[in-house]
Amino acid sequence: MGLWPFRGAHSQTLRAGDKKGKTTLMSKRFTITRRHLLLLGFSAILLLVMACAPDAKQSTFGTSGPVAEQQLLLFNVLLWVMVIVFVLVEGVLLYAIIKFRRRPGQHELPPQTHGHTALEITWTVIPTILILGLGIWSAITLFDLDQPPAGADALEITVVGHQWWWEFEYDDADGNGKYITTANELRVPVDRAIRVNLRSDDVIHSFWIPKLAGKIDMVPTRENYMWFQADETGTFYGQCAEFCGRAHAQMKFLVQVLTQEDYLAWAESFGEPPELSAQALQGQTVFNSTGGCVVCHTATGSDSPEVVASRVQSFMTTETGIAPGPNLTDLATRERVGAGLVDLNRQNLRQWLRNPEDVKPGNYMSDRAAIYQTTDGRANLSETEISSLLEYLLSLK
Amino acid sequence: MATLTDVIDRPTSQSGLWSWITTVDHKRIGVLYGVTAFIFLLLGGVEAGIIRLQLSVPDSTLVSADTFNQMFTMHGTTMIFLVIMPLSASFFNFVIPLAIGARDVAFPRLNAFSYWVFLFGGLLLNASFLTNQAPDAGWFSYANLTEKPFSANQGLDYWALGLQVLGVSSLAAAFNFIVTIVNLRAPGMSLMRMPLFVWMTLVTSILLVLAFPVITVGLIELTFDRNFGTNFFVPEGGGDPILWQHLFWVFGHPEVYILILPAMGIVSEVLPTFSRKPLFGYPVVVFSGVVIGIMGWAVWSHHMFTVGLGPVAVTVFMITTMLIAVPTGVKIFNWIGTLWGGQIDLKTAMLFALGFVALFIVGGLSGVSHAVAPSDNQQQDTYYIVAHIHYVLFGGALFGIFSGVYYWFPKLTGRLFHEGLGKLHFWLYFIGMNVTFFPMHYLGLNGMPRRIYTYASEFGWDGLNMLASLGYLVLFAGTLIFMVNVLISLRKEPDAGHDPWDAPGLEWSIASPPPTYNFARIPEVEGLDHYWIMKRRAEAEGRPITQPEAYVDPSTIHMPDPSYWPLVTAIGVLVLAGGMLFDTGWDYIRFPIPFIGGIICFIGIIAWANEPAAKEHAGGEHHVGGSHGTDPHGATATAAVMERPAGSTAPTVRLICSNCGNQLSSSFRFCPYCGGAVENPAEQDH
Repeated sequence: MGLWPFRGAHSQTLRAGDKKGKTTLMSKRFTITRRHLLLLGFSAILLLVMACAPDAKQSTFGTSGPVAEQQLLLFNVLLWVMVIVFVLVEGVLLYAIIKFRRRPGQHELPPQTHGHTALEITWTVIPTILILGLGIWSAITLFDLDQPPAGADALEITVVGHQWWWEFEYDDADGNGKYITTANELRVPVDRAIRVNLRSDDVIHSFWIPKLAGKIDMVPTRENYMWFQADETGTFYGQCAEFCGRAHAQMKFLVQVLTQEDYLAWAESFGEPPELSAQALQGQTVFNSTGGCVVCHTATGSDSPEVVASRVQSFMTTETGIAPGPNLTDLATRERVGAGLVDLNRQNLRQWLRNPEDVKPGNYMSDRAAIYQTTDGRANLSETEISSLLEYLLSLK
Repeated sequence: MATLTDVIDRPTSQSGLWSWITTVDHKRIGVLYGVTAFIFLLLGGVEAGIIRLQLSVPDSTLVSADTFNQMFTMHGTTMIFLVIMPLSASFFNFVIPLAIGARDVAFPRLNAFSYWVFLFGGLLLNASFLTNQAPDAGWFSYANLTEKPFSANQGLDYWALGLQVLGVSSLAAAFNFIVTIVNLRAPGMSLMRMPLFVWMTLVTSILLVLAFPVITVGLIELTFDRNFGTNFFVPEGGGDPILWQHLFWVFGHPEVYILILPAMGIVSEVLPTFSRKPLFGYPVVVFSGVVIGIMGWAVWSHHMFTVGLGPVAVTVFMITTMLIAVPTGVKIFNWIGTLWGGQIDLKTAMLFALGFVALFIVGGLSGVSHAVAPSDNQQQDTYYIVAHIHYVLFGGALFGIFSGVYYWFPKLTGRLFHEGLGKLHFWLYFIGMNVTFFPMHYLGLNGMPRRIYTYASEFGWDGLNMLASLGYLVLFAGTLIFMVNVLISLRKEPDAGHDPWDAPGLEWSIASPPPTYNFARIPEVEGLDHYWIMKRRAEAEGRPITQPEAYVDPSTIHMPDPSYWPLVTAIGVLVLAGGMLFDTGWDYIRFPIPFIGGIICFIGIIAWANEPAAKEHAGGEHHVGGSHGTDPHGATATAAVMERPAGSTAPTVRLICSNCGNQLSSSFRFCPYCGGAVENPAEQDH
């Protein structure tokens, strides 16, 4: 009788079970191998992650500057700890599964151990120590990265999040108190700490340039800040990281890191009146009157805070009419249009002017601007007017 | 009102549709929960499929941004509130009374009520699709995107009211299980003799009771903001959107443990059974579960590391979050300790339990990596987090649940699953899960934010997104195999026997499927893993274990009768909440409907309260309700003292209501099943 008190009543079931046990045994061995391979596969992918710091445009690897680098260093150390723990624990698990498989004919019960106090204390204390160590180091990094290093002559920029584009305000762009507002393309000098004040005028957004610094949210009612510093010139890619509505996926921006001289030259020349051809002058008329663009966009220098405030006020309290729009001064010097979305060229801009909804579904220009309130969403402007408007916008530099 | 219950006859169907609609049997309610939640799982799976299809290639135009936003919102909300929570509730219902040696839960009609409210809440939430106003602000619905200017249609109202209704269901169920576990355990089953799954159910239920009121407050404030002009989360009105985040995550993080602890409980049952040795370090596993439940309250702001709380607050939440990895790790070590030195039988249930452990380790480790706030600043709101939550909720919770399905299915139906198909299901899930979600770690680190409906190919995210979408197909195939397996297994003759796994739990000591009354005689529990002890003792003495039915004539056991009133009350709740959303533009119709719902609720509750738990029994000497001047507990009942079984050291004085035969705790003055008065002879002696 022994182990099977129900042999009498259930012998049928038992025999079937035994037989099944035998046939599945081989398939079990097979599956173990597969599992093993799979785990090897994981390790391979993990190694891949560690081995290559990909130069993908928006990767958190291939960092530049102290903030992103410290964050990456912390992650890399964590990754190694994780890999070691992963291999150890999964290894022991796998070993136990293989080693302690039930063999055919094993009827005696295994030793009925209920626990092992010393062992259990050990595996409670060791992770605690490990984790506290990591925690202290992380806390130090956290406080380190909170503010730019003391004594650094940080450039202060305010970033305002809008559905679904970015506004950048420089209180003192050139060291002589020049105030600049621009949009969707941030220009900063290399090797200089940039302190960013983060605000939002509508919903919560999150400011993130993976290669330069981790993200911080832009919350209405809050004065958040962060800082970063780029160690090399070039273009960096940023994107809104907090879900903010319909066109969240297309709320991107570029950071142009310039040499100190180039940056200063840009700051000083910003907003100088452009030279306009005859066609561009016609376009300016469209911009200022026929098209009504000027209601939401400024193209002749920085926005005054009052104008911005009134646009925001109108946006929040009405369902038609005005919304804050990106400042278009020096538009032609930007690389992209539509908040980092498509390259700025004649063709893309023409498409954008004809029907922005085709390029960036859900944008407020299609939604609110009077000229786009047509049945098919196409601008209520003649091709000539669009061409001259295009000419005007492309002369803004 | 007593007349009401007299006019309408008690439902008596024992089979057919009406028997399911009016049932108060915990086993049937468990099945209802399970089947309903599985259908919602398919629905949430289809939503996931649309997400994966859209993201499989860059610049995809398959669905619009609006549709995509609705899909990920409803996918998350469905999987959390309509799938994993009710699937866990399904196990609570089916297993808990069996595992603690009780005949039903403490409040069988409340149990039926919580099922119907869950069903209606789920339907209400999904009714938003019919009016093309599905919520689209994410399952977390961060204010102030959820306020009227930014979310003009009724989607968020459906979401808020749907969750409120589901909250009613969860709270009712949680109270029910706390009372059941505290009061209805078989004699001798002290707290530290409870099976691990019962422990985790208790902790989960307490978490539910404490966490749901928080989200309830948040949802009321949101509804008021949207409809009645309050300004809780409206910055222009002086409100604070961050308040919503705190409310949501004070609920939301304990919710994470509400989702995972039941699965941990299931795994803690399955691993010992198929290793043929007891759980390693039972007290430590129990306490680590309790500690997780407590520490879960101190970590909510790790969802908010990028909100700008300042380094001091962030450090506090960073350390508490990292420390919660310790009890979690201890559980994993103890599970491996359980395997160590055992005789492991790789049945499907065991494979899923081992899969749970293997995948939960990955999810746990990535969890530590974003507990570290500076590194989390790069990972927050990226696909790295998506990978993490799917490792803990799919690889964790769902694998644990499927382990439980394969483990208890023979008990539920008397039939064994087809093992080959079961293993195929497991491997499809295990491989599909890793192919789908592992690349997401890398996508996130490579800068892909969550919740974007499209992406350009210039960022190098194409290949891994395609791979993840292909993995979805494997998961889809696995789900189909599972459904085929269920159908095949249900059609064959019962072949499971009452204890197919040689398991330790009390539920395996009774027939499969269990009779309505579960235990003909309530067992006297002698220790942890009581049935294991009994079996080993019988073995040592060389005698068979006799079926308990042999002692008692089952026809003398009275169980609570079916009832219409839980359903009626639940319909009232549905009409009340749904009526508020019924916008015809004509207020004369709109406003009365919720009141009608309230009246239905009221009638249901009054009739329910006046209905005795069991119909008058022919030949019974008691008389319930009806005539004037009768004590509402008019039954005359006396207590019986159960005899002490030979060789038992368990406490002996237990009460059985002589009216309905139910096992009672000595703290009851009236029988909770039939309302009969209970006298305690032990008290009279003094």
